[in-house]
This record gives sequence, structure tokens and C-alpha cells, in this order.
Amino acid sequence: MKTIGMDVGSTTVKAVVADANGEVLWRDYQRHHTRQAEKVLEFLARMQAECGVTPGRDRVLFTGSGAGLLAPLVGAKAVQEVVAVAAAVEKLHPRVRFVSELGGEDMKTVFFSPAGGRIGQVIPIRAAGTAPAAPADLGSTKQVYMQSACSGGTGTFIEKTARKLEIETERLAQMPYAGHTLHRVSSKCGIFAEADANTLVKSGVPVEEIIASLFEAVVYQNLATLTKGNTPQPEVLLLGGPNLFFRGLQEAWRHHLKALWVERKVELPAGVDPDSLILVPEDALYYACFGCIEVGKAEQADSALYLGSERLHWWVETGQHEQKAREGGRGLAGSEDEFAAFMRRYASPVAAPARPRATAASAGRVFLGCDFGSTTAKAVVLDAARELVFDCYVPSHGNPIEDAKGILRKVREAGYTRIDGLALTGYGKDLLKDILGADSAVVETVAHATAALHFFPDADVICDVGGADVKIMMLRQGTVADFRLNSQCSSGNGAFLQGVAERYDTPLADYAGRAFKAKSIPALAMGCGVFLQSDIVNQQRKGWSADEIMASLAAVLPLNVWVYAGQLQNLAAVGRKFVLQGGTHRNLAVVKAQVDFIRDKVPGAEIIVHPYPGEAGAIGAAMCAADAWREGRPSRFRGFATIESLEYRSTTNEDTTCTWCAVNCHRTFIDVALEGAAGRPWSKIALAPGWKRVISGNTCPKGLLEDANEMRVVKTQLEEVKRVHPNLAQRVRDDAFRTLHAAAPAVTAEPARLLPAAFGYFGRLVRRAFR
Amino acid sequence: MDTSAAGTETRIAHGALPARDKLRLGIPRVLNVWSTHQFWIGLFGALGLDARRIVFSSDTSDEQMREFGKGRGTVDSCYPVKCVSAHYGELLALDRHRRIDVLFSTMIYSVPSFLHGHVVDSLACPRVMAAPENIKAGFLKEGDAFAARGVRYVAPLVALGEPDMAARQLLAALAEFLPGVTRREVEAAVRAGYAALEAFAAAARRQSREILENCARLERPCLLVLARPYHMDPGIGHEIEVDLQAYGFPVLWGQYLPTDPDLLGWMFGAEVAAGQVRSGLDIADVWPSSYSANTNEILWAAKFAARMPWIAGVIRLSSYECGMDQPTYTPVQQIVERSGTLFFSFQDLDSTKPAGAVRIRVETIAHYLARDAAGIIARKRDASPPDCPLAAAPLP
Repeated sequence: MKTIGMDVGSTTVKAVVADANGEVLWRDYQRHHTRQAEKVLEFLARMQAECGVTPGRDRVLFTGSGAGLLAPLVGAKAVQEVVAVAAAVEKLHPRVRFVSELGGEDMKTVFFSPAGGRIGQVIPIRAAGTAPAAPADLGSTKQVYMQSACSGGTGTFIEKTARKLEIETERLAQMPYAGHTLHRVSSKCGIFAEADANTLVKSGVPVEEIIASLFEAVVYQNLATLTKGNTPQPEVLLLGGPNLFFRGLQEAWRHHLKALWVERKVELPAGVDPDSLILVPEDALYYACFGCIEVGKAEQADSALYLGSERLHWWVETGQHEQKAREGGRGLAGSEDEFAAFMRRYASPVAAPARPRATAASAGRVFLGCDFGSTTAKAVVLDAARELVFDCYVPSHGNPIEDAKGILRKVREAGYTRIDGLALTGYGKDLLKDILGADSAVVETVAHATAALHFFPDADVICDVGGADVKIMMLRQGTVADFRLNSQCSSGNGAFLQGVAERYDTPLADYAGRAFKAKSIPALAMGCGVFLQSDIVNQQRKGWSADEIMASLAAVLPLNVWVYAGQLQNLAAVGRKFVLQGGTHRNLAVVKAQVDFIRDKVPGAEIIVHPYPGEAGAIGAAMCAADAWREGRPSRFRGFATIESLEYRSTTNEDTTCTWCAVNCHRTFIDVALEGAAGRPWSKIALAPGWKRVISGNTCPKGLLEDANEMRVVKTQLEEVKRVHPNLAQRVRDDAFRTLHAAAPAVTAEPARLLPAAFGYFGRLVRRAFR
Repeated sequence: MDTSAAGTETRIAHGALPARDKLRLGIPRVLNVWSTHQFWIGLFGALGLDARRIVFSSDTSDEQMREFGKGRGTVDSCYPVKCVSAHYGELLALDRHRRIDVLFSTMIYSVPSFLHGHVVDSLACPRVMAAPENIKAGFLKEGDAFAARGVRYVAPLVALGEPDMAARQLLAALAEFLPGVTRREVEAAVRAGYAALEAFAAAARRQSREILENCARLERPCLLVLARPYHMDPGIGHEIEVDLQAYGFPVLWGQYLPTDPDLLGWMFGAEVAAGQVRSGLDIADVWPSSYSANTNEILWAAKFAARMPWIAGVIRLSSYECGMDQPTYTPVQQIVERSGTLFFSFQDLDSTKPAGAVRIRVETIAHYLARDAAGIIARKRDASPPDCPLAAAPLP
């Protein structure tokens, strides 16, 4: 009799076939790309063909996140993952006291203690090379901690970020931990970690250091959340794909465990290399499968018998669709008529920007708007009639000067040698304003609103869904009267959608096509992107396909955008004319979901996709430049040649490290030679007059201030402004809670005494006005 | 408990408090203390307490909550009330040299208001009023934290909106820790309290008028904040208005607008003459059920903003799920916007200052004010009666 142990995980299926003596006859693991049932069926067929697994005779046990659903279909017994892993560990490594198993989307720790012992109790370990100390049949007590609700600290966490950094899996596997400078990467949430990694990339930190920092974060997260105050005692076993494949992760574990043992005074056997107490078996992937086989040994003769794959086959072909049809919601596309109507209204490709024509480039006034975003820098050129005549973008590399040079080079290459106005928006606007000689630095909201109001003067709301943030702008009186921003959490933004599309190997351009194919969709929960991620895994397990999940993800996006991120419960109160902007609205599946959602909440709502959704920010900026020109202000633009030849030097060292908070961002000071700049004689890295400093690599606005010296300079200026322009609350804060002895009589007698000297400034202005 | 603490307890139990001039009094700087501050200083000063021994807790902050409020929380969805725990905790934790004898946290039932006599009543928000009772519970659940620190907790109900009633209520409360205090003494002290509060308000109103006069002379815009008094607390209002001030806009608050007859006559005279309102401080036209003092003042200030040309923008602040503010959102916005004044509202403020969003909003507001203020001032002035008393003010 043979026994099959199959581990149906969130990203891979692993299986082992063993004979009655426990000899492994067959094993394999493969990624299932969300088709768990299909992969299991394929494995079973191969086992039957390749090593004679026979229905009715052989035994089969499943474990892993997909076991519950699939096991009954083939007569298998479902074994809880931790039970399976523990069974294998007890059999193969009786001296192991602590196991960490990292999966694709979960992580577990198991503390073993010898029979009758307490967790954490140390048992003697003999020097390496001697026989196992504890007899296997003693049994032991186990304390299990597991978490699968959050991506922090799991394999996906590492891979996701590595993918973002464009590191191939093979290279990732070989990247070391030891010897690298570590940076702070959030270990709490995979999505924050990705953002942290992004920031590090931008500030020029080598990818090796980022990956090492990621390994650090994973180990930290496991030790911080999954040990619950217990000390992992030797020997330690590291299991699961990530622990096996990533050399750097193993190194990080070794580093931390050894440090922990020293710190907590854990007694190690004399003469033993502590490293040898941390084991990573070559077949670490298969431990859950081995455990299934172990558990199988204790089964009754007629239990867990393999029934063959017919019912699983039926499930793959028919059953899963029937079940989904019962559970699922209406497809995103809706009825044929509805879909046709939608496509007529929205499918015409958004007005493709006209290509630059030689005449356009040489004749007439042109205005340049640049949007320095977190991932790309975009530029548009408008002609005197405010028509878009050219647009381009470059990926952002975190050095604002290079980004600016890059984007302006493209504009010049398109034939625009002279421009009549330049305005900037996006995160880099204030840094670059003086350096480029921009006529204005336009805040994002104003840029977006200007672009929307130009085309749709009666718009009530702008919904901008970008790659890394969601902005909702409510317009009244021609201004952005209210504004909601979500940049702290990935819920509802385009990056998340892109991440899922990547997981399904689908280019964003094909997203809508696939999503519209889904006839029925699962209901995904609104909220945190990480939970959404695990919900997706959950729906995959129910058999929902990539198309259906992609459709469902688009369908849930409006809920995340408006309700979760925007905190707008009552959409009707914000207006009836909605403009959708931001690159994510190029995706028709998202547009369809938005239209359905908004129409449902606001009957009769008019929903428009901006003709240039991705460029709206840059267009708005260019329009502000045109406004400034119309008011008769000549452009301050320094000219393409000057910017191309800008001389600058960047410094990154201890003196540039930000010390405002414990994060200690590794900032880069980019010093640019600029005529008339004041320099920074007070700085630790002193700057002569004629140079201007741009600070990058900071993660919060505070980091834009170099240090306490600059803080003092800025504060003095600010105090002066506040003195001249008083705030009544400041009076309360300063005076209301102390005894104002002279207050009562003095106030009536001598009002001037109580008024700040600030009015001297007003006085000067008045005197000037009357001169 | 060590013997020294036990000794303290005995002392408290026997009521052996220090003499008045040595008594240390702690007052949490919360809620309506932000509008009655000087009353308490005037009151206790007149009663012979040493001003240096009256300790207000510090401004609300996250650190304060982490250090002093942890584990003291009671159920209350009002964020400014929730923060009171941290203020109590901070006052109880004062070191040996500043240790307080009495924690004085009044349940203010009604507040003095400049609209008194023009509105139905000037009550405090009931939730805010009851906060001391609510917060106290968090300091009693695992033993009496006040007694453990040798602090007497005094939390009387006080109708500050009715001076005679307030004097009677305070007499009973003060007798608890000022042995031998007389009715006459308390009545005089209460009068001193009101005088100090009024003097402060009068000076603040005069400063506001000066600001408006300067704006009128220079045709420059200023901003008005519509909020509850405790939004002046940096931890509750997050100093959003300070960020705008930094762009060069003077900032007025609804609580301290000038109420001089000449100005009210200029702004509201026609409506009074037409019988639409009874006085320049009447809000029956927009808010007939005018019971709540803070709400009344916000509504009146909105009317003021609508009629004051140089208030080009109004900033509304309101805390997370404030039940008192919610019904006022729409009327306040409409009153302000109908006059062509820009209106920006920051709602649902709680512990976190949404830094990125606030920065962008502040920049946005500053942009539109810079762009539109001149036009707004001109249009509002054209719609106003002639002979503005602000313009007639002499040059400083």
C-alpha cells in the first residue's frame, strides 16, 4: 500500500508518494496559479501513471489551505497544516524545539517541549554527530502560533517587493543578508513594506541592501508576533519555501536566533557550532507532506482510501462552476444591452494626444506642465488654445534633478525649444520650482481641478485613482472645497489592481477584457488591501478563476475608493457630476464598476472619464502656467540648455541622515549650482552662495528641513509671519490660562498695549500705500 | 501601600488640607475650560489661592494619552471627552514638587455667552458636561487612583450661564476643600471670575476688531475659524489654522468676534429694522432652537462671516462624529457660501492629524484664497451698506 501526502497551499501544490516502508517513490511541487483543483488533478493523474498509485488500495491525505474543499472529492483525509508539520518534525527531528514555517501567504511557529515538559524548557543536546537524544515515541506538547490574515512576514511579502525591484527569483534566492547595511522596512504590512522599499530605491539604496532589509523585516515580524514572549530554543528547524530558497533569509534567522540565545542566556551544548543548531533540511518544502504520511500510518485500514479522481474531475469541469453560480454575484459586464450601452459611451479610446507636429513645435505659444509623481514624471505641452499637443513621461528614479532633466530632454527632443510658461505639480514641485525656473508650483488638487473644470466646468466631484494614492476632490464655487486623500493604505488604489494583474500574468491593457468575460463574480470584502489579498486566496480556493477575481476586484474598487478611503457614506450629498481621473481609470473594468456604483447611489448621476485621465495633473499645471502668462508675467524658465547642463553633486552620509525621528531616513543632499542662490553656510555640509540644496530620500515632510539650524531659520521667519498676521487662538493658548493681573483695567484703558506690535508691519504697508 | 502613602491618606481622610495660600489645585485644560479659563483664575485668585499653585494640565497630545491615559479609557465616542482621561492622569502624576491636593473638574452645565439674552439658552453639550463623571470611572475601577495619590477629586455641577446659581453651586463644592469659606466670599469671587473672563474676551474682541480694521484699510483678506472652544487645543484642533496663518492670513475665531454696536448696526441694522431679527445677535432666523451655547456662537459667527467683506474664507473644524455639530454642517456651509465666501471644512478630527491630507488642503485653500480673495472682498463690499465703521478707524 502506498500513501499520498499532498499539501495544497496558497501558491503551490506539493506532493509525496511513499511506500509502506516510508520510502519516497515520487515527489513534486509546482505553482498552481490559483488553479488548485486542476493542479491536484494533474498530480494525481501523474502519480497513477508514474508510480502506480491505485484507487481503492492506496491511502491519501491532504493538508494546506485547499485541503478542506478538495480532500472529500478523492476520499482523502484532511489534516490540519500544523498537525502535519509537527508529525513530520517529531519523526525526523526529535530534538527540535522550535519550528518556523513560512508559506506563501501565512506563517506558523511551533514550539515543542518534551513530554511533560513546559514550553521553553531546555533539554540537553549532545555534541554534533552523536545519536539523537530523545526517543521519538515519547511524544511532546506543542504550542502553535499561526497567522494568515496579513501578508507581513510571509513569502509573498518578499516576492512582491522583489518583483517591484525587478529581481529575478534565481538572483533573489542567492542574495545574502550578512554584511549589508540594513534599512527600516515596515514588517507589519506587506503593502507598507513595498512602499518603504520604493522609498529606499529612490534614495539610491542598492537593491542588495533593500533585500537584506526585507529578510530582516520578515525574521523580525516572525519573532515579534509569533513567539508571544517564548524564546525559540535550539534546535531550530526552518521550513517552507521561502526559508529553503532564500539564502539571505536563512542568514537572517541565524543572526537573530544566535543573538537571542546570547541575550536570553540560552545554554548551548559545549563545542557545538551554534549554526549547526539551526537546520534547513533540503526537503523543507515537503514536511507537511511527510507529516500527512506519518499521520496516515495511524489510520484504520479502510480509512482515507484513494477513491480515484473522477469526482475531482467532475468538480473541475462542472461542480465548481455550479457552486460559484449559486454563490456569485452578477458579472461586471451585466446584461448584453447594458454592456453594449456602456461600451458605446465609454469604450471609444480616450482622445489620443495629438503627436507633435513640426509646425506645432515651432509656431505659437506653448505651455509646459510637469507632474512629478511618486512613480513617474509626466509632462504635457499645451498650445495657446489650451489644446494638448504633446505628452511624455519618464519613470521616476528618486533623484528629482535627473527626473527633471529626463523629462525636459524628451520635450526638447519633440521639437519644443522655447516655452512661454512652466508650472510644476506633484511631490517634486517645491524642490524643483527654483531650479527649473518654474512660474508656479501648483498643489495637486488645484492641478487636477483645473484640468477637470476646463473640460467640465460644472463638475461636482473629481475622483483621481492613481498608482499609489486615491484623491477625491469636491468642487464648489470653482474651488476644491473638500478633499479626501488616502496615501497611507493601498486600499482602492491602482497599484493593488496592478499587483493582482501581475499575479495573473495579465498586462493592464488586457485587464478589462478578461474581467468582462466573467459571467459571475465572487463577493470580495471591502477594506484593507492585505485582507483583500487573503480574501482573494479564499475565493481562489472556492474555485473562482483569475477572470472572475479580476472582475470582482474592479467591482469592489469603488467601495474602497469612496467609502473606505474617502469616508463618504452619502455620495448623493457631494453632487451629481463625477469626473474620473488618474491612470487607473484607463481600465474600463474600473470605469464600469464606478459607473455602476455611482449610479446606484446617485440616480441620474453623470459620470465622465477625463479625456486624458493619466495626464490630468500635468495638464492642470500647464493651464496654470498659461494663466500666469495671460496675466502678463514673463516666464522664469531657465531654458532647456541651462537645465541640461545643470551642475550638481549629491551627498549621502551620516551628516545627511535625518534625525528628526527614530526612522533616521538616509537622505541625499543634492546641491545644484544656481545663480543667485543663497547657499547654506550654517549647514554641517556647508554650501557656498551660488548653490541650492535639494533634499531627497526623506519619507515625511519634516525631513525636508536639514537640521535644527535650518529649523531655527525657518522658525524665525514663521514667527515673524505669525506676529504680523495674528491668530486669536494663539492669544487663548498663550494668555488664557495664566493670571493676567493687569488685564482688567489695562484693557479698557490702553488697548494698544494688548495688541501685538505686529501692526507695525501693517502700519508700514499703510504708510507706503498713502505715499 | 507604603507607610508614607498611608500617611497621606490619613491626612486626606481627616480633611487636613493645606492652608488656602499653600493649596495646590489641578484643573484639566479640557472642553469648556477652553472658554471659561479666566473665570477659574479670577475665582481662585479672589479666594486667596496662589496663582502659581493653580496647575492646568498641558495641551492634549498623543504622548500625554500614551503616558497618562492608558488603561483609563471609558466608553465615549466623543474624542475630546476621551482625551480628558489623559489630563486627569497627567495631573495625578505630577511629581513631589508640583503634586496637587485637589483635582477640580467641573461639570459645566451652561456657559457664559455673548449671545445671552438673544438666544433661548446657553447650555453646554450634555456629553461634554457629563465628561467628569464618565472619566472618573476609569480612575476608580481598580482602586481609587485619586485617594492613592492623596488627591481630593471635586467635580461639581455648575451652571456658569446663571451667575446666582453658579455661586450657590460653587459654595457647596468649594467648602469641601476650603474650610470656612463663606457665601459672601464665594459670591465676590464668582464676580471676580466673571470680570476676569469678560476682560479677557473684551481684549480679544478688540484685537479681532483691529485685525478687521487693518484688513479693511489694506483690502486684505482674513480667515474665520468656526469651531468649538476646545478646538484651540493643539491636540484637538491640530492647529490647522496655524498652517494657514503661516501663509499670511490673520485668523479670527467665532468666539471672539467684535460685537460693538456700531459694527452690529452696520452689518445687521437693515434686518433688525425690517423685523427679520430682533437684534444683531439674534440667530432665530437661521437656528430657532438656540439652546446650545457653542452651537449658537458658531451659527452667529457664520452670519457674521457672510456679512463681513474681509473674511474671505471660513474654516470649519469639527471632531469625530460630533453629534452637536452634525446638524449644523449644512446650515453653516450654506450661510457662508451664499455670501460668496469660501468655505472649507475639516471634519471628523481625532487623534491623528492626517498630515499629508491637511498639508495638501492647506496649500489648496491658500491657493484659492490668493486667487479669489480680492474678488470676494470686492463683491461682498459692494453688497454691504456704505459707511463701514471699520474703514473709519484711525490709523494706528
